[in-house]
Amino acid sequence: MRKTSNGMGWLFTSPYILFGIIFFVIPIVWSFFLAFTDWNLISPEFNFVGIDNFIEAITSQSVQSAFVNTYKFLIIYVPIVMALSLTVAMVVNGLPKFKGFFLIGFFLPYLSSGVVTSLIVNGILSYNGPLNTFLREKLSFNIDWLGTPIAAVLIVSIMIAWKFAGYYGLILFSGLSGIEKEIYEAAAIDGASRWQTFWKITIPMLYPALYTVLILAIGVSFGIFTEVYQLTGGGPDFATNTWQMEIFTNAFTNLQAGYSSAIALIAAVVTFVSIYIVRKLIELWGRRNGWE
Amino acid sequence: MRLRKSLALFISLSLSATAMIGCSSGDSSKDTKEGVTEIEFWAAPNPTQQAFWKDMAEEFNKEHSDIKVNVSAIKESPTSEASIQSAIAAKKAPTMSENINRGFGALLSESKAIVPLNKLEGFDKLVKTRQMTETIESWKSADGNQYIFPIYSNSMLFGWRLDILKELGYNEAPKTYSEVLDVVQKLKEKYPDKYLWAKPDLADPTAWKRWFDFFMLYNAASDGNAFVDGSKFVGDKEAGLDVFNFVKSLVDKDAVLTAQVTDPFETGVGIFTDVGPWTPGSTWKEKYPDLVYGETYTLSLPPVPDDRDPSNAKTFADAKGIVIYASATKEEQAAAMEFLTWVYSNPDTDMKWLEDTDLPPARDDLGTNEAFASYFEQKPFMKAYADTVAKGVPPMENSKYNEIQTIIGQNAFNKIVKGQITPEQAWKDMVNAIEGELK
Repeated sequence: MRKTSNGMGWLFTSPYILFGIIFFVIPIVWSFFLAFTDWNLISPEFNFVGIDNFIEAITSQSVQSAFVNTYKFLIIYVPIVMALSLTVAMVVNGLPKFKGFFLIGFFLPYLSSGVVTSLIVNGILSYNGPLNTFLREKLSFNIDWLGTPIAAVLIVSIMIAWKFAGYYGLILFSGLSGIEKEIYEAAAIDGASRWQTFWKITIPMLYPALYTVLILAIGVSFGIFTEVYQLTGGGPDFATNTWQMEIFTNAFTNLQAGYSSAIALIAAVVTFVSIYIVRKLIELWGRRNGWE
Repeated sequence: MRLRKSLALFISLSLSATAMIGCSSGDSSKDTKEGVTEIEFWAAPNPTQQAFWKDMAEEFNKEHSDIKVNVSAIKESPTSEASIQSAIAAKKAPTMSENINRGFGALLSESKAIVPLNKLEGFDKLVKTRQMTETIESWKSADGNQYIFPIYSNSMLFGWRLDILKELGYNEAPKTYSEVLDVVQKLKEKYPDKYLWAKPDLADPTAWKRWFDFFMLYNAASDGNAFVDGSKFVGDKEAGLDVFNFVKSLVDKDAVLTAQVTDPFETGVGIFTDVGPWTPGSTWKEKYPDLVYGETYTLSLPPVPDDRDPSNAKTFADAKGIVIYASATKEEQAAAMEFLTWVYSNPDTDMKWLEDTDLPPARDDLGTNEAFASYFEQKPFMKAYADTVAKGVPPMENSKYNEIQTIIGQNAFNKIVKGQITPEQAWKDMVNAIEGELK
């Protein structure tokens, strides 16, 4: 009987196992193999180069810039998207009706194409566009938005925050909906101000949803590509270069399969370690607020 | 109970089978009639080029019962080069493909993925028949072989806003650096908000962008110096410094704009830009019909240092060609050469190509052959491109061309445009980095 149950269990999970093997296990093993070779996938011959690809990646200026820039994006993008998504959630939660309608409206940017958004931003920031013409002619303010490192990072961060704010707002909204009204009523009886209610009740009670959103947002910081590829090409002076840009350029433009695999593996380790550390920090904060 | 288990089993097996089928390579082998050699031709991912090759294959197949040519487009996701790379790795390469530049061709030939065409029967005759002896010379590989059959060669030209030049007192485009700087002087006096060269790409390190700024100027200043020969940097220092100093002079005079700007040349924010034949032929025709060749704009070879002859200036040629893959059988390679010979044995084919794509065929006689006269009468701007086919220098023949061109941008050109480095330092940094890359 037990034998039959096990067999059926394996059988039922076989589609997922097969999917996992084909799309996760084989590519990861293949990446490990490639990372230790100088193979370009075209030549019939290749050499095992040990850890040369990893050393080249670690000492490369562009890979180093991708490493640093990811944290720059994280520091700028995560607070912006958290603030925006929380605002969306609280505003919609406070509406008397049509909550679903507004939530869908805020969610729509998540479905928008990064390419199209980049083209629109490109038009808005154009030297001869209305914004810059106004700034130049009325305020004598002339700036090369995407050619100035900090402005370029800020613009890309805002674009991505705009895209994800509605999606994260949806998660936070469901978290807000789950907070018992009685807790707020008790706080009101105790004379708590709105500010105190927000920090002492809403934020701690929202912990599970905030935890999810924070981890998702940090994950996004490590996967930035389309906006940078379309708008800045990683410039100016590597200021917006990212892990995904490095992997794409080396894999698909320079056609260096081994080297790009090494970068991808380094990026995976950096991402995993970073998210693990942040997760532990959030969990520590959660435990201090009574969440085990 | 048994029924439910059977149903679950059926669903599981179906899902697994679907996954397996979905992941299969989709073997495209077809039943081939006995005695018929079937070859696969991958066309560029450009609708006009695909249509041209499909028409050619259809005609060829009608006339040849022993060869069947199948045409499909190279997948451009993520890039056409990466698609070819994947196909070779998966042993699914076609018999032949177009859209190959010299740099990628070098990678393919070094990897022994393509065959030297000059070793195939009929190639020399084909070169003579198509009147391309001079044009094909610059495509010869360092090992003396000819791996790519060039089909088109866009000698890139610089466009000048003739209407604005006339307002400044000039009737034609300046040809030397001093003449350009004179124009800049007058432009900034009359229109302080206009620029000579307004183009965000000048500050972008993306490798291919150097073809349309640095290499146009460098080829003109160096008489088409190879820049890299095999694994050796052979750049012309004097010409390189001339180019960098010229660009720096423009930057110092506030004549270069690298901010995001929409259609700067078309709207008159800038009066000088690189122009390929596809731009006036399609984009301007539809979007900016007021831009008329000879009236509002003109085309010219790149400006040269004052001590060079501008009429002999070389320029960068955005040129691509056809290769035949080594993985094909001898019969398939011979059939591919027969198809190639059939297509290019008649100037009418190049005329059809020109009409369909507006890409100048890589022939020495394009500007003089009567067969093309009617086309140039209809599109006079194309004559400027036809006349300069032999002056076009194709991309460098080096498998690391992307890395090298990224270095040119990151270490030198982008920094000069941003006013961050002296020309001497830029050249030194660039050469050191390129030599390090070539080791």
